Amino acid sequence: MNDTTRVIGTRDLTKVYQSGSLRVEALRGLTFSIERGEYVAIMGPSGSGKSTLMNVLGCLDRATSGQYLLDGIDVSQLDDNQLAEIRLRKLGFVFQGFNLLPRANALRNVTLPLFYAGMPPKQREKLALERLTEVGIGDRARHKPTELSGGEQQRVAIARALVNDPAVLLADEPTGNLDSKTSAEIMALFERLSAAGRTIIVVTHDEGVASRARRILRMLDGVIIKDTLSNIPVTSG
Amino acid sequence: MIAYLIEAANVLFANRMRSILTIIGLVVGVATIVAVQVAAAGMSGAVSGIFKGTNASTFIVFPKTTQSNVVRAALKIDDLALIRDRVPGVVSVIPFSRRQIIVDAGHQRVRLRFGGESDKRFSTSPVAAGRTLSAADIATADSACVISDNAFTRLFPNETSAANVLGQSLYVGSKRYVIVGVLGKAKVDTAALGFDVSNDVAIPYTTFYNTYQRGSSFFGVSVLASPDVNLQMTERRTEAVLAQAHGAQYQAFDFGFFAKTISGFFSVVGLIVGAVGAISLIVAGIGIMNIMLVSVTERTREIGIRKAIGARRGQVLAQFFVESLVLSAVGCLIGMFLGVGLGFFVDRGFIARISGVYGAIPWFEAIVIAVGFATLVTLGFGTYPAYRAARLDPIEALRYE
Repeated sequence: MNDTTRVIGTRDLTKVYQSGSLRVEALRGLTFSIERGEYVAIMGPSGSGKSTLMNVLGCLDRATSGQYLLDGIDVSQLDDNQLAEIRLRKLGFVFQGFNLLPRANALRNVTLPLFYAGMPPKQREKLALERLTEVGIGDRARHKPTELSGGEQQRVAIARALVNDPAVLLADEPTGNLDSKTSAEIMALFERLSAAGRTIIVVTHDEGVASRARRILRMLDGVIIKDTLSNIPVTSG
Repeated sequence: MIAYLIEAANVLFANRMRSILTIIGLVVGVATIVAVQVAAAGMSGAVSGIFKGTNASTFIVFPKTTQSNVVRAALKIDDLALIRDRVPGVVSVIPFSRRQIIVDAGHQRVRLRFGGESDKRFSTSPVAAGRTLSAADIATADSACVISDNAFTRLFPNETSAANVLGQSLYVGSKRYVIVGVLGKAKVDTAALGFDVSNDVAIPYTTFYNTYQRGSSFFGVSVLASPDVNLQMTERRTEAVLAQAHGAQYQAFDFGFFAKTISGFFSVVGLIVGAVGAISLIVAGIGIMNIMLVSVTERTREIGIRKAIGARRGQVLAQFFVESLVLSAVGCLIGMFLGVGLGFFVDRGFIARISGVYGAIPWFEAIVIAVGFATLVTLGFGTYPAYRAARLDPIEALRYE
């Protein structure tokens, strides 16, 4: 394992929520790494800390202690604006509830990260349309989210997540709101993206979804209890 | 910045009913303040126009009558010579004479302003035909008269040329007057301002005195001073001379006094309306803040999405700030045009009709007011909602339903 192929590396990552006298240790010293191009599923029951880990890995939240290197950058100590910059440049999010802007059409949703990155409008639209075509809904670019099916909305979300060419694609229960047929299509899309070299992390409690990944991190009570690679157990940390 | 503006316009248009209701207060506030500005500009134009269009060297003196001095203070025919002799710079003194009277000419019978005039003219209306009253007319108390354009058109509605009526007669009761001159349009209709120097039918003041005022005292005297002398000093002198002769108090009034009274009235009105406008602007600002806070709450999830995607605090702040800015800018702009329109209506409909002076619309002031208030309202009431939006935690915001 070396730094040029490692896209995520954590050491003793902890997250403690303190609310008055109540102290919840959501993450308890996680040390793991993810290589460039890996397709990883993070699994665990509710309360296992997988959502917290997702938030920390997604730079939406800061770890209480420990180190987190993302694409060679130590993001543990960055401030809010710097984290926003990291989210913009290095990360792409896909959510369970799609989280598209309802008033904006598919194209404008996809251009949003490029807008924040300061790209000129023409270039934004061109790139966004490419991404939409890539995920198979280039012809639906002018439709608003309400005019799109769940599967199409999730494709728009994936296109938006990829448009800034992120180091990591983070998906939080990406098929949670979809029927089984559409779920299969989305999972197929993820596999295709993985095959094309994308680094993908999927947080899920769905064994079917997790089984499509090449590596599964199983969490319980804030620690990784099992790290399996193509169904072959490997030592974690 | 343009992208933020477009985005803001989209959001506000999507909620257009709410946006319109939000800016009404602002529209009303700015409109009133601008309207007062426009009307005040018209008014000051009118006041200065009065000075330009009339004989600024004229004043009227009235006794300050009390119950005990009515007789003593009354102005008589001797006072005319007294003032003329004792006050330097006085060109002419005539009894204050003004009545509304029925005048007959041919088949026309109209009610007109009728009064005495001197050969040294108090009126500044140009002569359209014939001549003004001569010293001989005054000395002989002749039955000559000079009529105004108003009298001309009303007494001779079918006559097109003023010259044709010269030598014709008109009757006031049984008394006959021969028209020797017709005046053109007065620059300023001072009668409407309550200070009437122009008569529709002017006869020699001596004739007026002999016919209508003989033996009685005058209501007041009109004084024409030389333009070279200080009018205020002449007024004080006149008051003093009369006071000494009668043992009573006198008060002189000139155009400046009337103009000052009127503009003083207007500035008070302006202050009151301005204060009301300012209050409505504060209320409007709070309305905008309220709507923006609602908007921030409603769009918590959207803010979460934007932040998750990588929007920095400043970018979220800018988005909501620009929305407030667009709201207040649109409100202030509409208010400005409405106010200019309203002020223009007041000026043309009332002020200019009285003064005959068309004030220029103070666009610069109107724009300054609109831009100023838009900026103030945005800064004062748009900052907090925008700050609230920018400060939202993305995780919390994404969880918001």
